[in-house]
Amino acid sequence: MALTAQNVTIRFGGVVAVNGMALDAAPGEIVGLIGPNGAGKTTFVNCICGTYRPNAGTALWLGRELLGLSPHALLKLGVARTFQNVASLHDLTVLDIAKLGAAARGDAGSARSGGFFGSEKALEAELTETLLRPLYLADVAHTPIQTLPYGRRKAADLARALAAQPQLLLLDEPVAGLTSQEGMAMAAVIRGVRDRFGCAVIMVEHKMDVVMSTCDRIAVMAAGSKIFEGLPDAVQSDPEVRRVYLGEPG
Amino acid sequence: MTLALQLAVAGLATGSVYALIALGIVLIYKCSGVVNFAQGAYAMLGAYASYVLLRAGLPAVLAVLASMGVMAGIGALTERLVLRPMLKAPVVAVMMVTLGLLICARAACLAVFGPDQIAFPPVFPAGAVSAGGIFITYNYIAAGILAAALSLGFLLFYAATPMGLMQRCAADNSRAALAIGIHVSNQVSAAWAMSAALAGLAGTLLATLNGLSIGLADIGMVAFPVVVVGGLSSLEGALVAGLVLGVLQSFTDGLLTPALEDVLRANTGIYSVGALQQVLPYALLVLMLLLRPQGLFGRRGAERI
Amino acid sequence: MGTRRLLLALAVAAVLIALSLLLGRFGAYLVRAVAIAGIGALSLNLLIGYCGQISFAQGALLGVGAYVAGNLGNAGVDGVLALLGAGVATAAIGALIGLPALRLRGLYFAIATLAAQAILEYLFKMLEPFTGGVSGLVIRQPAFFGVPVASDQVSAAVSVLVLLIAWLALTRLTRTNLGRAFLVVRESEVVAKGMGIDVARTKAWAFAISGFVAGIAGGLIGFAARLASPEAFTLDLSADYIAMIIVGGLGSWAGPLVGAAFVVLLPEAIQRVGEAFDIANLLSALRELAFGLLIILFLIFEPRGLSSLLPRLRWAQPRRRGAAPSLGEPGGAAVATKGGERP
Repeated sequence: MALTAQNVTIRFGGVVAVNGMALDAAPGEIVGLIGPNGAGKTTFVNCICGTYRPNAGTALWLGRELLGLSPHALLKLGVARTFQNVASLHDLTVLDIAKLGAAARGDAGSARSGGFFGSEKALEAELTETLLRPLYLADVAHTPIQTLPYGRRKAADLARALAAQPQLLLLDEPVAGLTSQEGMAMAAVIRGVRDRFGCAVIMVEHKMDVVMSTCDRIAVMAAGSKIFEGLPDAVQSDPEVRRVYLGEPG
Repeated sequence: MTLALQLAVAGLATGSVYALIALGIVLIYKCSGVVNFAQGAYAMLGAYASYVLLRAGLPAVLAVLASMGVMAGIGALTERLVLRPMLKAPVVAVMMVTLGLLICARAACLAVFGPDQIAFPPVFPAGAVSAGGIFITYNYIAAGILAAALSLGFLLFYAATPMGLMQRCAADNSRAALAIGIHVSNQVSAAWAMSAALAGLAGTLLATLNGLSIGLADIGMVAFPVVVVGGLSSLEGALVAGLVLGVLQSFTDGLLTPALEDVLRANTGIYSVGALQQVLPYALLVLMLLLRPQGLFGRRGAERI
Repeated sequence: MGTRRLLLALAVAAVLIALSLLLGRFGAYLVRAVAIAGIGALSLNLLIGYCGQISFAQGALLGVGAYVAGNLGNAGVDGVLALLGAGVATAAIGALIGLPALRLRGLYFAIATLAAQAILEYLFKMLEPFTGGVSGLVIRQPAFFGVPVASDQVSAAVSVLVLLIAWLALTRLTRTNLGRAFLVVRESEVVAKGMGIDVARTKAWAFAISGFVAGIAGGLIGFAARLASPEAFTLDLSADYIAMIIVGGLGSWAGPLVGAAFVVLLPEAIQRVGEAFDIANLLSALRELAFGLLIILFLIFEPRGLSSLLPRLRWAQPRRRGAAPSLGEPGGAAVATKGGERP
């Protein structure tokens, strides 16, 4: 296993938001993380991504401990994320957003361009070809992100995360707020990304059709803990999951 | 020892005036989310208003009350005419507008009353008490007691009356307050009116102690450290921090500065440390921000992504 | 940087220099004042408009630049080196002031910069051997590359040249990784951190670069006035500079220049009008009053600044809606501001 998270626990005051959570992900695998609102899914992702510092637990990635590292350090280890709500970055264009991701990659990125001197043409061409075009963003590369529809902003955020060339990608509700058509297109893009880059993907999502068709494996969280883990088909038939998540009386 | 006591009493008196002004800043911050630079201007305008009314022959009590009324009107007008059209503007723009108000008020007073210090007509009876070797004028006693009483009264009002409760609701969560039927924008206006009235009284009291000039507006700048040390959104904090800072300033001026200058004179070529008591609040402010940024009484907030 | 923008900048600089030559000493004085204010405003715009760090200490930072450049110049150092020295020293002080910003956010930090302004003003008065105390530091006529700056026209040309260099460098800076990081930090530090941006390092750079440019502007102020005194670098000066970038339009690069011209020329215009009406004794009060009123009216009716008017006046250029930078949350909305603005 490439990522092995165990016993991740975080408390806010008296509330245990994530309680002894465990999750693995292997390269080339898309793991879905589902659960009712407030189950602690995003909080768990925030713990792995360095936004929160958990009270307990470990998360080993290729043998290195991730918990407690800053997002900045994590990116250098190949761990990138997307956001549930795309930030309003007024003046930045789609290409600028992608460059932000490339800059976070550090070594190779900053050496090639983005500095005070020299041209960014080469980097722009590379980002457009390898990322923007597959994400259907090439035509809006120079458009300020604020003027784009929500679906394309989410795609731009994904482009930023991918520009850092991650080996572990955490997606926080990548299709939330998208129409179902856009959502399916995004799901296809995510599978394409996995196929092309071979990265491990953890995906927090509510839309069951997308989760079922995209993920290789699904973990279900409720009240801060994992209550089930298995193949998509098994999730739908598990009585406990149906009770907690789908709201059926047990 | 008697000197220390004397300094403490004088410090408490000015400190309670600081507290009055700081309370207004906190109140406005709580309900408008703005740090109001014009608070010092309100103090200055209140003092000039009292001056005009006293010179017109009004009895002291009436003159002070009337000037507070005028200031309440000015405060409410500021909110209606200046703040409300700027609801969607960036924070820095709103702060800058209040700074513009300060500049305007200062310039207007300069044009009308001139640049010179004016002797303030007596509000309190002349004379002094001397007890246990310390000597305090009625001015200081009256100003201190009045300011402290009003600050406490205001805290009580805020904590225990129905209108205070509505104020707190509107300040804590304006959307929820709207939902339960509180007229939020009226509450915000009321908060500005009260803040300006308190500042106006503080200005009048300060003028009875130190005389009247447009320099009085600078008191607003001293109030910022008070507010931050107390915790930007804590009324109790503003009161306590005001008193603490007043006393500290008084001791710095009366004890620390002379002692420091003695040492410096003996050992170096420096003869004066200048107005050390004026930078002290800021030094304290920086210290506080680094050690406990939420202030003495503040609470930490969190940001979601 | 497009070629068109470069040409435009060169043309503006050429026009300014031509104006200073054509309009005589007074014209040169005005051009110099606008150019220097423009440099200071560019520096503050980087900090406030681009990185979202509200600072009320710009006046004092200009003072640091003036004192350092003045002392270096008086010691016989060439004007160019003196200005660079002022830039480096002010960058260091600026970074020091920025240190609390690594922990504080929004209004708290703004108030911390007020404290920095007050403390620096105090130090200007106290550090007599270096600053000349209350009476100030008399600065000798500078020489640039060994050539003494003998006339106002020459010093105006020097100021315009420095403005041009600062403008080109700063606009270029916003097209770099660091410049993009500034913008993200301005919008949300939490998001910036989540994106893997080193927020502390980014802010430290913003303060250092802004301080460097402010120091050079301050040095030019000192060389122009031949005097650096505490009352020249008060909070009122900070307010002037904030007014410039707000009047001009936050976060744009033409805005600070438009704002600088406005804030410098307005009092001069009022002065002329006042002299015409023979009310000289009320002038300073009226000047202040008009300045304050204009700021207020401006912010209420055109909060996005003068430079936002330009695209509307120009031919049918599509307007970028919603592209106005905001500094965090809207100020008036209590709901939005309170949680987010705490440290």
